[in-house]
Amino acid sequence: MGAFSLIVLTIAAIAFSAGGILAGKLFTKGSRNAQKGQPYECGIPTQTSPWHQFNVGYYLFALLFLIFDVEMVFMYPWAVVVKKVGITALFEILIFIFILFMGFLYAHKKGALKWM
Amino acid sequence: MDTSAIIFYAIAAFTLVMGLMAVTSSKIFRSAIWLLLSMVGIAALYFWMQVEFIAAVQIIVYVGGIVVLIIFSIFLTQQAGTKMPGPSLKRIIASALAALFGLTFSFNLINHYGFSSAASQPFSLSVSDIGVQMLSTTEHGYILPFEVVSLLLLSAMVGCIVIALKPPKENVERTVAAPENITVNITEPEEENVNVNIREPLIITEV
Repeated sequence: MGAFSLIVLTIAAIAFSAGGILAGKLFTKGSRNAQKGQPYECGIPTQTSPWHQFNVGYYLFALLFLIFDVEMVFMYPWAVVVKKVGITALFEILIFIFILFMGFLYAHKKGALKWM
Repeated sequence: MDTSAIIFYAIAAFTLVMGLMAVTSSKIFRSAIWLLLSMVGIAALYFWMQVEFIAAVQIIVYVGGIVVLIIFSIFLTQQAGTKMPGPSLKRIIASALAALFGLTFSFNLINHYGFSSAASQPFSLSVSDIGVQMLSTTEHGYILPFEVVSLLLLSAMVGCIVIALKPPKENVERTVAAPENITVNITEPEEENVNVNIREPLIITEV
């Protein structure tokens, strides 16, 4: 690893991304119309502006997602060493998951995971 | 300047530029996306320091979690897509002063203590080491904090459900009984007033 390989990598990265765009420009027949400016080529055409005010209930999903996201962070190093540590690691993570599963059951019981 | 330093300055410049764009963008949703890219830059710095676990946490929690939360809360407001007016002069001066204070403070600290290159002794911070330490039940193990974290997450989950959850409606389809007599006057030139009695319950379906 030296300055030379860094330069080669940079040039290769630029060539790879810019090359695709350039090739697309060169070899395709350019046409512009209003249809192409739409976000999706197929499906239901958009009726109004997508910048609506969203229902506050969706925030709950984001919060719950974040909590399970953090849980994953703790399970990642566990998964790496579970074989090395052995049976105790299994029991430790079972306690960990059990406690969080209670939270999941609570959310399920309260209907927090129901899509509105 | 060696290769490592070049990479560091490139990543640092990327992070700073993205952070500046996040602060100066007048559209709040774009601001969040710039912030996301700035977070990615910080994760790249962690990768550059070879602390892969911290980098992964940075991406999972901050890029994947916190910024998504911010974007959600932007969508809860009415002005997600509109262009915001620029800040007032008073605010610009105040924030510039605050930034300047932070800069001098951290510059002073770094200058005062100095990070000698003696600290470049290779430290081992692999995911495996973290995992063993975290699950260790010996005196210096972190098994109790590890289990307490699950309690913390549980209380956070219960708390956000209690605060944010709307009580569910009893039944979506409800029957509305019509009042006893509704007199609808239909005035047509030839006929007299017609009395229309509505006896059947109206069914209002909420979609």
